[in-house]
Amino acid sequence: MSALAHSPSLLVIGALWRRSLYEVLRVRGALLPATIAPVVFLLGTTGQFGRLTGLDGFPTDSYISWVVPLSCLQGAGFAGAATGVNLARDIEQGLFDRFLVAPVPRSVLLVGPILGAVTRSLVPATAVLLVGLALGAELPGGALGLLALYVAAAAFCAIAGLWGIFMAVTFKTQQAGPLMQQGVFLAVFLSTAYTPQALLTGWLGEVAELNPVTHVLELGRQATVVGIEPSLAHTQPGLIALAGMGLVFGALCLFGLRRMGR
Amino acid sequence: MSAAAATLAREGRVVAALGRRSLSIQFRRAQLLMPTFVLPLMLLAVIASGTAAGQGLRGFPDVASYLGFVVPGTIIQGTLLAGLTAGIAFAADIEGGFFDRLLAAPVHRASLVLGRLAGTVGLAALQVCFFLAVAAIFGARYPGGIGGMVAAVGLGALTAVGIGGIASAIALRTGSLSLLQGIFPFVFILLFLAPAFFPQELLVPVLRDASVYNPLTYIVEAVRALLAGDPSLGNAWAGLAAAFALAVATTLLATFALRERLRTQ
Repeated sequence: MSALAHSPSLLVIGALWRRSLYEVLRVRGALLPATIAPVVFLLGTTGQFGRLTGLDGFPTDSYISWVVPLSCLQGAGFAGAATGVNLARDIEQGLFDRFLVAPVPRSVLLVGPILGAVTRSLVPATAVLLVGLALGAELPGGALGLLALYVAAAAFCAIAGLWGIFMAVTFKTQQAGPLMQQGVFLAVFLSTAYTPQALLTGWLGEVAELNPVTHVLELGRQATVVGIEPSLAHTQPGLIALAGMGLVFGALCLFGLRRMGR
Repeated sequence: MSAAAATLAREGRVVAALGRRSLSIQFRRAQLLMPTFVLPLMLLAVIASGTAAGQGLRGFPDVASYLGFVVPGTIIQGTLLAGLTAGIAFAADIEGGFFDRLLAAPVHRASLVLGRLAGTVGLAALQVCFFLAVAAIFGARYPGGIGGMVAAVGLGALTAVGIGGIASAIALRTGSLSLLQGIFPFVFILLFLAPAFFPQELLVPVLRDASVYNPLTYIVEAVRALLAGDPSLGNAWAGLAAAFALAVATTLLATFALRERLRTQ
C-alpha cells in the first residue's frame, strides 16, 4: 500500500491534479464564466423554446427537465476543453518540456489535469442542476438517475479534456482554444439537444442519430425526464458511447504525446 | 477651408485609420474571427434544424422559411459578438500599452473611441452579409428583397455600435482583458431576453414580459420584418429608434469612461 502511494506515477498524478485545482483557487472568479455560461443557456433555451413541449411526441411537458442534462454536459464539456487551453499555455511557456523529462510514462502526465477538470466540472454541473430544480425541473429518476447524470457529465468532461489535449499537442498554441471549445459545442448540440429524435428534421436528424453524444444525453436524461426511466436499456448505449470516445481520443492524445520532442 | 472643417477632416482621417486598423487586426488573428463568424452560424444550423418542428405550434406566424425566421436572431447574436470584440481589442490595446501611445497623439479623445467603433461597424456589416448569404445558400428566403437586406445590414451595424460602446466603456474603466473575455456569457442573456429565435407570443410568460424592456426585442423584430417584407412581424422604425438610441447612449458612455480614465490616471 505504502509502496503504491509512493510510486512516481501516483505522485505526479496527485501533483498535477492539485496544480490544476490551485489555478481555480488562485485566479479569482476563474470558475464564474464556465459556470454562468451553461446556466444562461439553460434559462435562455427554456425561455425561447419552452413551448416545444406542446408538440406531439415530446416525452415531457417540462422543457427545463429536458434541457438540464444538456446544460450539465455543456458545462462539463467546457471545463474539459479548458484542460487543452491550459496545456497549450504550458507548452508555449516551456513548462511542459520540463514535465516531459519526469521519470514517468508520458500518459501519466495527462491523468492529473483530466482529474482536475472532472473535479472542476462538478461545479457547473451542480449549479445547473440546482438552478433547474429551483425553476421547476423534475427529478423522476431519483438517486439512480442523478448518479447517471453525474457519470455522464464527469465522463464527458474527461472526453472533452482528451479532445482539448489532442488539439494542444497537435497545434501547440493557445490560439487553438476556440477550436477546442467549438468542438465540444458541436458535439453537444448536433444531438437531441433541443428536441427528441422523432421531432428533428432534415440533416440534423441523421447526424444526431450517428452522434454518440445523443446516447450520453439519454444517459443523463434518466435523472430528469419522465419516460426515460433509469434502466439498462437507457444506460448501456451511453456508457458504450463514452468508452468508445474515450478510446479514440485517448489514443489520439498518446499518439500526439509520443511525437512531442522528436 | 475653414479651421473647423480642417479639424473635422483631420479627425475623420484618424477615425478611418483606427477603424481600418481594428478591422485588419480582426482578420489577422483567426481566433478572433471564429467566435464572431463561425459560432453564430453553428447555432443557427442547430436551432434551425433542431426546433423547426415548432412551426407547427399554434400562434407561430406563417413565414416563407423557418431558417429565414431565425436568421435575424443570428444577425443580432453576431452584432453582439462584434461589439464585444471591440471591447476586447480595446482592452488588449490598453494592456499592451498601445492606447497610451495613442493618447500622446494630437487628436480629439472622442476620435479614439469613434475609431474603434468604426471598425465595429465594418465588421458587423461584413458579418450580416456573410450570415445572409450562407443562410440563403441553405434555403433561407428574403421576400423583403434587396432593400430589406440592406436595411437589415444597417440595423445590424448600428446595433454593434451600441454593444461596442458598452464593451469599450468597460474596457476603458477597467483596462482588463480577462474581464472582457469573462463577460462573454452575459452577452447571451441579452440575446435570450429577446424573441431572437421564436415569436414573442410563444416565449415563456416571464421571458415574454421581460423582453418588452429589451431594446434588442425591437431590433430583432425589425430585422425579421424587413427581411420577410412583412410589417406584422415587427416595426422597422421602432427597431431603428432602439438601435440608434442604444448606439448614441453607449458611445457617450464610452467617451465619458475615457474622460474618467484620463482624469484618474
